[in-house]
Amino acid sequence: MLLLRKVAVLAFSLLVSSAGRASAEDFRIGAIFPLSGANADYGDLYMGATELAVSHLNDAKFLGGKLSIAYEDSQALPQQGVIAMNKLVNVEKVSYVLSAFTGVSKAISTTAARSHTVAVNGGGVGPDLAELGEYFWNVIPLANFEVRAMAPYLVQKRGLKRFVLVYVDDPLGQSIKRELESSLPSLGAVLAEALSVPSNAQQFSGVAARVRDAKPDVVYIASFGAQQSQIIKQLRDNGVTQQLASYSGFAIPAIASLPEAKGALFTTQRIDWNSGDPVTKRFTREYQAKTNRAPTAYAANYYNAVLLFGTLASALQKAGLPITGKNLLAKRREIGTFDLVGGRVTFEKDGTIRSAMQISEVDGEPAVVEIVAAP
Amino acid sequence: MLLLQLIINGIQVGALYGLTAVGFSLIFGATKIFHFAHGASFAISAYVFYYLYAVLLVWWPISILAACIVVVVFGIALDRYVYGPIQSTDGSFFTIFVGSFGVAVVIQNLIGTIFGRGFISVPSALSKSVELVPGLYVAPTAGIAVVAAVTCFVALQLFLSKTNIGIALRALSESPGLVRTFGLNPRAVSTCAFALGSVLVVPAAVLTSMTSGLNAAIGGRVMLISVAATIVGGVGSLRGAACAGLLLGIAENLALWRFDPQWSEAVTFLILFAFIVLRPSGFFGRVVTS
Repeated sequence: MLLLRKVAVLAFSLLVSSAGRASAEDFRIGAIFPLSGANADYGDLYMGATELAVSHLNDAKFLGGKLSIAYEDSQALPQQGVIAMNKLVNVEKVSYVLSAFTGVSKAISTTAARSHTVAVNGGGVGPDLAELGEYFWNVIPLANFEVRAMAPYLVQKRGLKRFVLVYVDDPLGQSIKRELESSLPSLGAVLAEALSVPSNAQQFSGVAARVRDAKPDVVYIASFGAQQSQIIKQLRDNGVTQQLASYSGFAIPAIASLPEAKGALFTTQRIDWNSGDPVTKRFTREYQAKTNRAPTAYAANYYNAVLLFGTLASALQKAGLPITGKNLLAKRREIGTFDLVGGRVTFEKDGTIRSAMQISEVDGEPAVVEIVAAP
Repeated sequence: MLLLQLIINGIQVGALYGLTAVGFSLIFGATKIFHFAHGASFAISAYVFYYLYAVLLVWWPISILAACIVVVVFGIALDRYVYGPIQSTDGSFFTIFVGSFGVAVVIQNLIGTIFGRGFISVPSALSKSVELVPGLYVAPTAGIAVVAAVTCFVALQLFLSKTNIGIALRALSESPGLVRTFGLNPRAVSTCAFALGSVLVVPAAVLTSMTSGLNAAIGGRVMLISVAATIVGGVGSLRGAACAGLLLGIAENLALWRFDPQWSEAVTFLILFAFIVLRPSGFFGRVVTS
């Protein structure tokens, strides 16, 4: 009876291991996005792009097997992000994870470094994200570049010299505050007031009173998700008529459709949606057809992040090497430059990219008002 | 001028806090049920109003009336089909709380699924401030909030003191057995408490949808304020809950005079903490001795 049981266990083990071998050609990467909560709009936006990239890679049989993404919900909260990352690394055994939001990205970076798992951020823009180790990559220019593009434009071209910052008290908001504090004096401008708000705040009539009291020329908002829409509406409702400005957090449909946001300026990386390059052209056409909305820089970044995995994994396959985080990192360093949506991209040593920036004005669909060359 | 502006903002916010807190306090005081889904009632009525008024362009009185009906049905259904069955077994206070919490989570997710999880607001000229004197901005919603709060509170006090069902409600909070002795059904009286408590959130929900806007998770914040106001005002005291709501709104805004906005929420809890330590019975609550 004991022998029979041992044989049964052995047979089951063989069956399981052979099943594993049968699907060994398929590839799975992870994604930690906010899929619920006040920032779920972003997760929805990112998923539209990642799913499009997966379908493009699979349709073209770019890799030997089928690529799929294991999605985990971070709710844009660091704690949830860490739980998701542990699951992806230890249960799903992925070697490549897409990340979003500065706080979440910082929280998962230690697990990424420890487990040699590549984490790629396409949405968080806190400058600290450039310092999270060799396994943490950014396919989005970080907020310091955004502020360095916006501040000179506002001061020199619009003549706006007195800034008030309303920022969410997290790593992103704090980094934007630091950047404004350091860059404005050299431009002959001043940060008259910096008002921090908690990430769950919803009442801003009092903040509007403080903003008005500071008599600014321009109000820079560094928040995200549903909250930034509430800030804009309540500032406008409560008598703040000055120019509004922000970073790429404004590049979402919710802001484009908010009447009170009309005229607000925001920065993103430079992407010419009418470009003739085939990658950008295909993405622009098919993203619009698939999601029924205009492409955004965020969508392009996450499409690029999946495309980057496809390129690296394909190169590793051709070299006969296993697709591990270590090998993906080595291959990225070896290749260096990639053809992605928006044009050719080169990674810096710290795993970030630099690109030209554009300043857009919210007017229904955002319209580009200024292009700033890459630093 | 900043100080005066913050006081006016505080009165507007406090009036809305007071209304939601009174509803919660009425239900908790009469039935001893920790109705965590009170925040969900707020969200439901706000989204029903938004959908009818801003999306389907239904006339505003009809939209408000529909929001009232939906939220009353929701409150009664919860009492009958969630709390009632739990209480009829050996449901403890904690079991009811968990049940109510579960309902609130389900409602939040349902709203997110139906309306999306992003920010929405009801466009209205009433939320646009006008400069009364240089530097002082007041929106019509501020006046409406105060008038609505006073009207609802006075009407509620009259109802509780002048009608039989109102008196029964007060009696229920004292002794369910006594209510039964007088030939009344405590369950029916409890249902009335839920209907009244739920409908009281509607003015605040409608005005919030115009001023600060909505998102699916808004119920959590409403609940937090309602509990804080109920404790600060004295458990079971409607007058206390209304005053505490007003106090919290004013304090939250006045904190902005000297502190960063991120500390204004902490003020709510500082006041709560101070009351728990120094005056556990709240503004108007009765001291209970064992």
